[in-house]
Amino acid sequence: MDWPMAAFVFLGAMVLYSAWRVATAPLITHAALFLAASFAGVAGLFFLLEADFLAAVQLLLYAGAVMTVVIFAIMLAEMRELEDAAPHAGWLAQLRSGRLGWAPLAGSVALFAVLVAAYERGAAGWPKTALPAPADSTRFVAGALFGPYALPFEVASVLLLAALVGAVILTRVEGKGR
Amino acid sequence: MSGMSLGYVLVRSVILVLLLMGAFAYFMVLERKVLGYFQLRWGPVRVGPWGLLQPIADALKMVAKEDTQPLGADGLIFVAAPALALFVALAAFAVIPLGPTLHFGHLALPLSVANPPSGLLFVLAILSLGVYGVSMGGWASQSKYALLGGLRAAAQMVSYELALGLSVISAVVLAGTLSLTGMVRAQAVHGLWAMVPNILGFVIFVICSVAETNRAPFDLAEAEGELVAGFHTEYSGFRFANFVMAEYINMFTLSALGSILFLGGWLGPFGLPSSAWWLVLKMALYLFFFIWLRATFPRIRYDRLMSFGWKVLVPLGFLNLVWISAFVALGGWH
Repeated sequence: MDWPMAAFVFLGAMVLYSAWRVATAPLITHAALFLAASFAGVAGLFFLLEADFLAAVQLLLYAGAVMTVVIFAIMLAEMRELEDAAPHAGWLAQLRSGRLGWAPLAGSVALFAVLVAAYERGAAGWPKTALPAPADSTRFVAGALFGPYALPFEVASVLLLAALVGAVILTRVEGKGR
Repeated sequence: MSGMSLGYVLVRSVILVLLLMGAFAYFMVLERKVLGYFQLRWGPVRVGPWGLLQPIADALKMVAKEDTQPLGADGLIFVAAPALALFVALAAFAVIPLGPTLHFGHLALPLSVANPPSGLLFVLAILSLGVYGVSMGGWASQSKYALLGGLRAAAQMVSYELALGLSVISAVVLAGTLSLTGMVRAQAVHGLWAMVPNILGFVIFVICSVAETNRAPFDLAEAEGELVAGFHTEYSGFRFANFVMAEYINMFTLSALGSILFLGGWLGPFGLPSSAWWLVLKMALYLFFFIWLRATFPRIRYDRLMSFGWKVLVPLGFLNLVWISAFVALGGWH
């Protein structure tokens, strides 16, 4: 096994294991940290694919910004423990339980099978062999974002703005025009 | 990655880590000496001539100390936090080029562990993970001082990262590249340090780099008078040393970044030939400025710190970005 393959196996295992632990960790802070680890693993996978722009953005936005705010909120909110998670069950017991173990596992395997089947049929015209990575992926992504995909990009930013305004309205103290 | 074997990268990583550790040790001596002179005392004088063997004594003390852990602490996270903090600090420095690639016969020695085309973005991404070590350490200690310190540090770092990012973006617009070597090359081509048109961006960068590293006068996260030692209150011995090392290596990273983005990197002033030593000199001046600030200013109040970041630095950063974009678009370089 050459080292990119070894790195891929390690990162893939890290992403999958921490994603599973997000759902099963008894402490919500641990769940948040596992989510951060999962994001970091995905960034590592992007690095392996030589998509260094996407990798950096994944780290910067998801692991750096989004998760920091989530952890910050958890720390402030004193939600130390989730009530109904099986706190000290072993991993085998967790796998046997429907909510934490076999049902989500079966669901994700089924989803994966559907994806593979769609890919094998050549749905959406996906290439069968890997395209060479562009030498300057940042320039490539920028060209796509400000060229053919300018409208979806702008619509997504309007959506984020709407979410921001919504958050401000939801958290505003009623009846106080501060 | 072409032409670069894994072993060669490993060797250079080890060299870099040793270099950073040595720089950290002697920067500590320098800081204590300079702070001493600022305060009309001698600083360390007893260990070795001029206190030069002080870091060895400090290291021995740190290793020999008992490794304590509070009873209610979250074991794994408590142990992982300082390691993560140090890892993040070291990883960020890995992509910073210290100078142009050296050639010995047909052996090329690049003065960085890796030099990705979007190196600047990588540094920012890694630096944004620095907040984990601090907040995890603060939370896992299960002590009120540590938790409050961790929260303060997290909020402060996230807030100032925004203004820092804005000043970095202005430098990117000016140079037209995300590569750190490209940054220096752009300044060489224009024959002008980026600091000249982008002076506001440079000032914002300096202020934010002090706040990002939780240094005085922005060291609210470890305000001794109210929070004991903030997020690392419960840490002792080598784990505590890890946190301190991470803080200083982050200072090195930000000073190198500031020198490359705004001060021409390894370009010499007045047309003198470029050399890695120029970058080291600029970093040294930058770091001296850190110490100078610490010796001069009292700690500012927390609410003022936050409102300064959000209501002064962020709008100024946007204004500066507009100015720099106009400068580039209107052909200010020509």
